[in-house]
Amino acid sequence: MAAPCSRMANRPLWQFITNVRRTGLKHTGVRQISLSSACRAATQTRSKTEGVPSPWKLYGAVCLQRLPVISQERNPIEDQFAELMHQMELERSLLSDHEQRLLEDSERMTRKQADNYDSDEEEADYGGQETITAQDQEDTWEQKLKHFQPALRDRDVGGTPLGSVERCLGDSLVLLVQQTVGKETIWLLPQAQWEAGETLRQTAERGLSSLPGQLCGEADFKATFLGNTPCGVYRYKFPKEVRTERCVGAKVFFFKAFLSAGSASQKEPFLWVKKTELQGYLKPPYLEKVDRFILNL
Amino acid sequence: MQWRKLRASFALHSRVLDQAGLLFRASVSVQHPIQGSLAFSNERQYRTMPTHGIGKYKHLLPKEAPKKKKERQQMKQIKTATDAEYGTLNVKVSGYDMILVEHYSQYIHNLCNRLGVKVAESYALPTKSTEVMVMPEQGTKMYVDAILKTHERIVQLSQLNATLCPTFMEVLLKNQPEGIQLSVKLHTEADYQARFKARPELEGLMAQMT
Repeated sequence: MAAPCSRMANRPLWQFITNVRRTGLKHTGVRQISLSSACRAATQTRSKTEGVPSPWKLYGAVCLQRLPVISQERNPIEDQFAELMHQMELERSLLSDHEQRLLEDSERMTRKQADNYDSDEEEADYGGQETITAQDQEDTWEQKLKHFQPALRDRDVGGTPLGSVERCLGDSLVLLVQQTVGKETIWLLPQAQWEAGETLRQTAERGLSSLPGQLCGEADFKATFLGNTPCGVYRYKFPKEVRTERCVGAKVFFFKAFLSAGSASQKEPFLWVKKTELQGYLKPPYLEKVDRFILNL
Repeated sequence: MQWRKLRASFALHSRVLDQAGLLFRASVSVQHPIQGSLAFSNERQYRTMPTHGIGKYKHLLPKEAPKKKKERQQMKQIKTATDAEYGTLNVKVSGYDMILVEHYSQYIHNLCNRLGVKVAESYALPTKSTEVMVMPEQGTKMYVDAILKTHERIVQLSQLNATLCPTFMEVLLKNQPEGIQLSVKLHTEADYQARFKARPELEGLMAQMT
């Protein structure tokens, strides 16, 4: 492992002046994912081979995704098909208990209204009329339904900022942060440099927890890593002036994680973007590798 | 006595037949069964007869395994996790809407088939009914508002590759429908035993024995 090159600037500390908290924000339900702890088998660090350290610097990055909270909107074709199937099912179905009760009650009412109504006969058959008919029940249910107000599907009608977690509830979003790599400040997936004695997954976890927002104690991302295997790798060489014999370039290993508990406050350096919007923020060669493992489902 | 009679008659007739022809022989064979019917019908074809074994067909049919009695249900071996693969995992899908639960569990099963993950078993747990009781503001008596039924389906995977696992889980989570809870756990013997109905009489007898 190459010695950490001092020329490579590590993450600078961000300073924030004001934090405006959103008031009255109800935390949208981020999905609770339950995995048994045995699935997360701890791997042991592989023993390093003694010898010439490799000229590549290793980084562990995390691709933190917020899963969609609501279902996506349907196409017009899907809408039509769903309606058609619903109609077909309705026509083929049999009457339920409640509907049969409705029919019986209505028949009884018509017989009551008729001239030759014999109440004794009726009561002998049905054993006394029930106090609540099926129609009454339906009316009470309809009343209750009117009182119920479903929440709005799309909260960002006004356009929530890009840094908000509750942006597009129907799509999955990826977290991007702004970090200084080399001389430039660019948008990329949160990453940390690998230190000897830890697994790459621990590096990625460290990268997530040591984000500027986390250090201040404001933002709190609880992520669930699914496995120990990285999902992608990005390899790049340093520009010629920075290159030495011992470090030629860097390799970034990406790990996938899902957000299990989000934060309420948003800050500038964070960005939650859909896969289609990644293009506007990431550099082309980086984007090419990252695109491969982000699923657009 | 009968045999001698037959032979004599045969000898007599054979001379006649030599001149007469086959037709007579046929009629002779019809006449004589009255006397020696027992002998003729019980007689099997000898092995040197060209028609020996004519009509045999059982040897042409495929061999059937001997019918054995159904054995008692045994539990399948629970596999343990190795370095590269997980052990027996239970993917439990539960929810109130049976259609969604069924379709989602079928989707998981088909996905495993496509990805090459071995599905050990796929079964349903009994439906649990939950009664929602509502207490009105005025009175103290609670009345039943609605009955909610929770349906559960389990897909048991046996050898899930550790490299495939994150992608598999991601696809599952991204396709999860609304109102459905998904949980992945290790399969234990307690889970297996929970599927069986309790037998109170048997348990009583066992308690009496011990």
